[in-house]
Amino acid sequence: MTPTTDIASLAADAITTPEESPGRILLRRFSRHRLAMLSLCILAVIFVISLFARQLAPFTPHELAVGNYFLPAGAVDDETGRTHYLGTDNIGRDYFSRLVYAGRISLSVALLATSLTVVIGVLVGVYAGFYGGWVDSLLMRAVEFLATLPALPLLLIVSAMLLRNEETIPIPKALLDAVGKLMLLSPRDARQAVLIILVLAGLGWLNDARLMRGMILSLREHTFVEAARSLGASDWQIILRHMVPNSMAPIIVNASLNLSGFIVAEAALSFLGFGIQDPIPTWGNMLAATQQFMFDRPILPLVPGLPIVFCSLAFNYIGDGLRDALDPRLKM
Amino acid sequence: MSRYLLRRFIQMFVVVLISAVASYALLNLAPGGPLTGLHQVQQNNRFRLTAEDVARIRAYFELDLYLPVRFARWLLGQPRGPVRLGGREWLGDLVVGCRRPIETTVPTADGKFETRQTGCAQVVRLQDLDGRRASRGVLSGDFGLSWRLLRDRPVSDLILGRLPKTLQLTVTATFLSLVIAIPLGIYSAVHQYSRFDYLFTTLAFLGASMPTFFFGILFILVFSILLKNAGLPYLPPGSSEAVREYTLPWLGTIQPGTLLDIALHTVLPVAVLTIVNVAGFSRFVRGSMLEVLRQDYIRTARAKGLQERIVIFRHALRNALIPFITIFVFAIPALFGGAIITESIFSWPGMGRLFLLALNESDYPVAMALLLITAILTVFATLLADLLYLVVDPRIRYA
Repeated sequence: MTPTTDIASLAADAITTPEESPGRILLRRFSRHRLAMLSLCILAVIFVISLFARQLAPFTPHELAVGNYFLPAGAVDDETGRTHYLGTDNIGRDYFSRLVYAGRISLSVALLATSLTVVIGVLVGVYAGFYGGWVDSLLMRAVEFLATLPALPLLLIVSAMLLRNEETIPIPKALLDAVGKLMLLSPRDARQAVLIILVLAGLGWLNDARLMRGMILSLREHTFVEAARSLGASDWQIILRHMVPNSMAPIIVNASLNLSGFIVAEAALSFLGFGIQDPIPTWGNMLAATQQFMFDRPILPLVPGLPIVFCSLAFNYIGDGLRDALDPRLKM
Repeated sequence: MSRYLLRRFIQMFVVVLISAVASYALLNLAPGGPLTGLHQVQQNNRFRLTAEDVARIRAYFELDLYLPVRFARWLLGQPRGPVRLGGREWLGDLVVGCRRPIETTVPTADGKFETRQTGCAQVVRLQDLDGRRASRGVLSGDFGLSWRLLRDRPVSDLILGRLPKTLQLTVTATFLSLVIAIPLGIYSAVHQYSRFDYLFTTLAFLGASMPTFFFGILFILVFSILLKNAGLPYLPPGSSEAVREYTLPWLGTIQPGTLLDIALHTVLPVAVLTIVNVAGFSRFVRGSMLEVLRQDYIRTARAKGLQERIVIFRHALRNALIPFITIFVFAIPALFGGAIITESIFSWPGMGRLFLLALNESDYPVAMALLLITAILTVFATLLADLLYLVVDPRIRYA
């Protein structure tokens, strides 16, 4: 996927293929946004590290090296010869391993929550925009209503209520197993992650639904929809073939902004103690744990803090780049 | 106009009512709550709670009443006993709750055991509510008594005690961010694509997408820890004032509670809140200023030969700030939310931290009150924004 930026190849492209495919146009326009490309590279690195967490991490995140509290970075474990690349934490767990596993968990939570918001948002938005009726008015009232409630306190309350009754909420075992596999957690621990995903997505999908509804409402008036209808296309054909592909641009942009928001929100919840709890590593709760030790070890908070910032920024920049790339009015 | 206002007030009332019901249900429908741990205590030999003790504790939290009754008592302060009409008592026998539920342990499908309420050994009737202590109801401004944080003290005491601290933080931060953000946004818009503009947009983007908690920790790291280690005057990292006197290099010994002490403690949290706000505000001012500068009437003003300064401040800025009103007004209740994280990092004894404490300790009356106050603030902010539009933009009319 090397972007063709030099003029010669651009000119050649223009001569040989007068009609570029939309994907290529998008790629070309996106690659102009240098910060977005840089973000993509950084994220790719973080993704690969998270993907191979098990292979890269010398320790498991729960392994206790008794007595080896706050080992310095680069210390070697006597018995096994493994290296603590970033030292150990206050109860002797390997910091690097926890960081890598935490990345896998935090990223998976954000990705799954975003996918869920997109799926629910698109379904509800399409239905509300296309058919109107009570779904539409209920959706709009719900969106307006949620706007009157402060986001963070609401998030905290819902999350506190769900996590307090963790055991009593029925979640299909297959789902827990699958999420556990994805995040390298035991099915029991995966419960917390699933609940956090549900909280984030549960409060996040309304915005996608509203966006989708707006797009459908405006697309409904276009002549190509009328043309499709006059050719005898069914509602579903119109929606799936014509409307959904045409309204994906804002949804995609919103999704990448959501990813950034969810990474921060999950970290904030875990940081405040209302998210995923300690034995399970996440960047948020690792950061919270460093707060009481930072006076003696000032570098400690940067270790889990920087990945949060990088990911949040990167997804934001990518959203920015996508917005520019997908906006046909913007000449690039 | 008065009809419009009346309609708005009714709408606002309904919205607040719905949010009250929703948050009450959210907190009270979930199991657990204030009785968490009671079963463990019951099995502990040292305390040995009798069934009567449990019933009393349940009555203290009003858990012996059915949820709608509890909610009505919380919201309206009613019912407090039988209905008295025309010198007679009505409905005294109406069952409103269960004092002693019969609990049976039943095996569930996956082999575990579950305790379920299967019946009621002793019911609570309306006449039993006579003489039981009750709040006057949220609608009359009485948020009830705190359960845990300051047991049996009115919630309003708790909140009013914390309000000045939160205001100290948020008012300062909002004021500063306005003073900084608006000129920044204007300058950046007027000099679009200049080097300053690129620097500014990058920084604003960074500031807006950087999580608050990381900012806070970074600030403590730099301005408290690194400065202290370097032997320079440093800023205290937490709390709103010192407990005992402390010595800073260059500044000497500082007594707790003095103006200097309070100012030093306020700097870091205010700085964090301000930076986050400035990033958001100034990006918005820049965007809306750019939009306005492209308008025809700006070209007209320039063509008339007006000074650039007058064009920008009198013609462009006034119009550019109209949409900014919404953003700014909504920042008022949102500051409360943003302050949760900031207050928690800097152990600032304000309302945001109170909310966290209340949630942690299951002190639901406090949490409910805070949530409701924020909802009310938001609703009023919406109204305020709409009314301010009316003042600044004569084209807008509400009927």
